[in-house]
Amino acid sequence: MKADKRFTLYRIGISVGIALLIGYIIVFIASVPSTDIAFMKKMKEAFDSANEAYKYFLTGALVRWRFTGAAFNQSGFIQWINEAVPIIITGLAVSMVFTAKQFNIGAEGQMFLGAAVATAVAIYFPGIPFISTLLVILTAMAVGAGFASIPGFMKAKLKASEMVTSLMLNYVAFFMGLFIIKTFLRDTEAGSLVSLEFQQQTMLPLLNERYRWHIGIFIALGMTVLVWFIMKKTTWGYKVKLIGDNIKFAEYSGINSSKMVFQVQVAAGAVAGSAGIIELLGYHGRFLWLYSPGYGWDGIIIATLARNNPLFVPLAALFLSYIRVGAKIMGRYTNIAPEIVAILQAVIILLVTAEAFLAKWKQRSINKEATQSETNDTPVQVGEVR
Amino acid sequence: MNEMFQGILSWDFIASGIRVTTPILLAALGALIAESAGTPNIALEGIMLISAFIGVIVSGFTGSLWLAIIFGVIVGTLMAAILAYFALKLKTDIILAAIALNIFASGGTIFFLAMLTGDKGSSASVNSLLIPNVTIPIIDKIPILGDILSGHHSITYVAIVLIFVVQYMMYKTPLGLRIRAVGENPDAAESVGISVVKTRFIALMLSGFLASLGGLFLSMGYVSWFARDMTAGRGWIALAAQALGGLNAFGVAAGSFLFGFTEAVSYSLQIFDIPYEFTQSLPFIITIIVLGIYAWRKVKASGKLNVSNSSVGPTEK
Repeated sequence: MKADKRFTLYRIGISVGIALLIGYIIVFIASVPSTDIAFMKKMKEAFDSANEAYKYFLTGALVRWRFTGAAFNQSGFIQWINEAVPIIITGLAVSMVFTAKQFNIGAEGQMFLGAAVATAVAIYFPGIPFISTLLVILTAMAVGAGFASIPGFMKAKLKASEMVTSLMLNYVAFFMGLFIIKTFLRDTEAGSLVSLEFQQQTMLPLLNERYRWHIGIFIALGMTVLVWFIMKKTTWGYKVKLIGDNIKFAEYSGINSSKMVFQVQVAAGAVAGSAGIIELLGYHGRFLWLYSPGYGWDGIIIATLARNNPLFVPLAALFLSYIRVGAKIMGRYTNIAPEIVAILQAVIILLVTAEAFLAKWKQRSINKEATQSETNDTPVQVGEVR
Repeated sequence: MNEMFQGILSWDFIASGIRVTTPILLAALGALIAESAGTPNIALEGIMLISAFIGVIVSGFTGSLWLAIIFGVIVGTLMAAILAYFALKLKTDIILAAIALNIFASGGTIFFLAMLTGDKGSSASVNSLLIPNVTIPIIDKIPILGDILSGHHSITYVAIVLIFVVQYMMYKTPLGLRIRAVGENPDAAESVGISVVKTRFIALMLSGFLASLGGLFLSMGYVSWFARDMTAGRGWIALAAQALGGLNAFGVAAGSFLFGFTEAVSYSLQIFDIPYEFTQSLPFIITIIVLGIYAWRKVKASGKLNVSNSSVGPTEK
């Protein structure tokens, strides 16, 4: 068991390393100048500018590079933390459902529709500090839960694949959300399609006015602890895990699996529902998404990286938002498009979830350990990890 | 009201419905083959997008239509092969692997578009080619029939032919039999000497091949450029069409036409002040309802046969 965990950690590390390497190669190729100069000189130039680009990519979120030297990048840091907030929350939602070995591709729609409906409350409910904020978030959670109950019900009662239904509902949620904003909440004074502004008192308190560092991160971390507690320390969470581990066994021990499947989908829907509105309450102050921002999909990546453990979810989310902010900063200083992050994400997911990736190596090290403990007289190799 | 029916029933409308259906139909046939093998391919969306991109870029930079088609198809099939390799050899969860490929396709095409053309939105600056339409000699002279049957895009005709090819392959050839056997009961198939991994590999690559034709149609027929995320959910709609049609190519084709024509209707309905958002979500709502009814009937049927069966399988596939 212990060797297994250590191995998972290695695998994640190696996957991230390979992804960064592939990214470097792509940046290098993109940096090769098209001018007509000697091959070696070309390579030298590409090498220099690729290194420069990667310097921004890997450190940009924390370091501001000046001619005089490096300084702390406050705006990058705050952006890093702020961007992690919604994806921590969707990551938690997806990890809950994954624990029960169910699929939830619907987090995206739950988040979008939750934010759109809660926007109405944030605009029209009188701005009372704390109370109205809480009400807005609870509205979004209720909408998310309600919307998640559709695939939950169809899976639990009708045994319809929740994957297809939640996928279809994403589109329905997107169009419904857009319709609500467009028809009822639109700010007609604004040039683009955005909602009216939220009540000032309803907005989340700020830690830093200039870069709008809001307290969303503490809400997200609070939710992390809560979800961790529910999943790991309560009977309900244990039942969810039992269903995921072995549904037949769970049923024989008297758990109503349809009921649990429904409940976990709805609970995760409530969590996911709050992801979008918290960002709007903290940062933008109005609804402004014309495209679904993709936080639900990010949640799937994060839950996968965190191995469905709620406590690891913030780490995975912070990692993802770190490379994203770094990529944006790289895009500002070089001609490398920040979408390169998508390529890295894909490589990381593929390798991290590949059960058989490095499995031979794992098996060999386990075998070696086993034979060594058997004979116990083989000399220890140099640099060997025991 | 009268106007509306005129709009819906015109021959232009039917032609537009067929055009909208083509990419969905091709991807849905791919979904059918993959699903039959027991390995659902939800990377169709990304495969279509990549092939659409490759078609435009290759034709724009080489000026050769054939090279564009060949590369578009090869890259699309290769994407499916990567999915198959990770899912079957490296034991990645096939759904997660497909999500990874979709993320790669969506971001990667934008990245490489920006790298090659300097534009992140569309390939407007690239002088890419179109795959031509086909006029059927004699039929196109017949008044109504000619409008419906002739003058479509070459890939549309290929797609129609492929409905029959896929149906024949799945139910009349040894390969189809093996694919279905592997999907229905992999252990039994293995015990009679069918290689499960190899068969699923082939099925996934075939599904990638079909989806890549759909992608080429999008950027080299439906429109004449590549735009970011231009597949716009067609890969997912194809999965829904497959879910509606089951494992029968004609059923899947019917499902695809239903979606294609619903979308075409939604364009016509926009004239009548019906909000665009409602008509756009119509295909998805229909799918959910139909899936619900299917599942309900299945539950009822199995309830009659076996009352004690109350298990809810966690993502059986």
